[in-house]
Amino acid sequence: MNNPRIAELIDRAFDYRGYVTLSRHDGAKLIGFVYDRGVAHVDVLDQAAESRIRIEVDEIADIEFTGEDSAAKAQAIWERRRGALEAVEVPAQGELQQRPVLILVALPIELRSVAGALGSKLRGTTVRGRAGTTGVVGLALGIAGGAARAVAVEQPGLVISCGFAGALEPSLATGDLVLASSVCDETGETITADEPVLRVVRRALAASPVRIVEGEILCTTRIAGTAGDKRALARPDRLAVDLESWPVAHAAVQAGVPWLALRAVVDPLDIDLPAFTREPRKSYVAPALRHALGGRRAIAELADLAQRARTAGRSLERALCRLDQIVAGLHGGRGRS
Amino acid sequence: MGIPAAQMIAVTRYVLKQRIAGRARYPLVLMLEPLFRCNLACTGCGKIQYPAALLKRHLSVQDCLAASDECGAPVVSIAGGEPLLHPRIADIVRGLVARRRFVYLCTNALLLEDKLDEFEPDNHLSFSVHMDGPRAEHDRSVCRAGVYDTAIAAIRTALRRGFRVTTNTTLFDGADPERMRTFFDDMMQLGIEGMMISPGYSYQKAPDREHFLRREQSHRLFARMLESPRKTWRFNQSPLFLQFLTGKRDFECTPWGNPTYNIFGWQRPCYLLQDGYASTFRELMEETDWAQYGRASHNPRCQDCMVHCGFEPSAVNATFGSVRGMAATVSALVKESL
Repeated sequence: MNNPRIAELIDRAFDYRGYVTLSRHDGAKLIGFVYDRGVAHVDVLDQAAESRIRIEVDEIADIEFTGEDSAAKAQAIWERRRGALEAVEVPAQGELQQRPVLILVALPIELRSVAGALGSKLRGTTVRGRAGTTGVVGLALGIAGGAARAVAVEQPGLVISCGFAGALEPSLATGDLVLASSVCDETGETITADEPVLRVVRRALAASPVRIVEGEILCTTRIAGTAGDKRALARPDRLAVDLESWPVAHAAVQAGVPWLALRAVVDPLDIDLPAFTREPRKSYVAPALRHALGGRRAIAELADLAQRARTAGRSLERALCRLDQIVAGLHGGRGRS
Repeated sequence: MGIPAAQMIAVTRYVLKQRIAGRARYPLVLMLEPLFRCNLACTGCGKIQYPAALLKRHLSVQDCLAASDECGAPVVSIAGGEPLLHPRIADIVRGLVARRRFVYLCTNALLLEDKLDEFEPDNHLSFSVHMDGPRAEHDRSVCRAGVYDTAIAAIRTALRRGFRVTTNTTLFDGADPERMRTFFDDMMQLGIEGMMISPGYSYQKAPDREHFLRREQSHRLFARMLESPRKTWRFNQSPLFLQFLTGKRDFECTPWGNPTYNIFGWQRPCYLLQDGYASTFRELMEETDWAQYGRASHNPRCQDCMVHCGFEPSAVNATFGSVRGMAATVSALVKESL
């Protein structure tokens, strides 16, 4: 390394507890956290802390200290507080504070319930609003997934898998809500929900007029559309089946973010869904219209399904109206009984 | 001494094996930091000041188990951040226990009662609860009201359910030796297995850097605190290390004794200093310039350090390094004096 200015900047960047912007001689810029350096290189974690990038020292033209210095910030807070203790309600560092709630659904029709609860307008496949002072982002991801990417982009403090489900338990009716105590994929891999999060949700939804039950949600890769399909998947304590909850929970766990899955039952155990719904699609409008051409019985089936979807959607909306209480509960009481 | 016989035998066997193999440097305790995120912001902690995206990162279960396999130390101390915030902490512990490692899960205990169901009592698992003194001192140290009471309740629950529980106490300038002695009585009355004590390290990034003890202050404080120790006190530490704290012995630091692994890799040179990272444990051991660290190096960052992660391994080496060292350890254990 020949340039003493760059050498000094690298030393400062290594000591800095915030993001820096590295400019290369070719004009490219990289924002990241410098976590190590050698004689001829610098090791950087990118802004999302996902990728490790090694840059040759000779490529570096300049380093700017563009991110907040978290050590200086911690010291400033401590100086301000000197002697005064934090209240018991202060949230875990790096958790919900200033980070949004991310609600992931599959279909635009499910996103409408989110928009209704937030009192916000749908903008394409996104809805944004607030729960108390916390931002909320709702995304309709489609059937193909994309939960991990959404979590990486939105950097949420809480992830909620929301939407419709099929019942695997005979007592569940259309519009009943299932709160996942765990989610399980087809191979049997199970992710257990965080008890403190469940406790807060239970408390927040206790006064809800909608029936809420708690248990396992099975996540399949194919829609279980017939009563026979669903009975084959039913197990004791397994309440519902969907396509999305497991990947959403998995993405949240991988990112170290609390999660919950809340699904509204559309089709009870003994109900067959119309055949066109049994294949995952981006939009069901055209297939539904084609189905309607099948005659009076097909139209009746469609009307029944639409009614069930409306009921399930209303249940979700009612539950999500209490999102501010959930967020407040998580802010104030994580880890306390 | 508050270390179970099985653990003492396993560690003794491991140390003897290393010495017979002629290894000059070997690890005793793996300091595993699976995440930096914490639910407290303690006045003397310099571990958690990172941008939010880094605080959200954590090591996977596989990363943690691979680090333990690579290092081979018989004891694993899971630190952080607050390890109970890790979504798969129970799986990490289970994997380490299955490898017959003695696991100390260091926690502030705020989440302990909620998470206990995820763990099974095992003589290879101990919850090491952060307790920096009596109620007022502890809550001041962690900068939050009510934490002492929450931790005490969690300790009682864990003990009732058959878990091993120890405490770890970091001491700063201003600690009152008499109040600390009463605190030791209180902890032992709870029924914990043993206590760990250490002076704090002067982290460059800690919010409060005014209250770290200098070496002479440490000697004075620990000498008064541990003078005529009560028979009921049990320390989860080597008696020679406690003698070092009181100034009766001197050791040089053994920075490789407690190697640290976290999201950045193997931290050079020790748990307290961050001079860079090695990508493998072997690289850490073989390519770190160890001569740059410890008091003899005149490295200013090492001059006042008396923290257990550097000197507990030195005390263990002293025990096994000579007949005199072994005799001193046995004598302290038998007489239960320091």
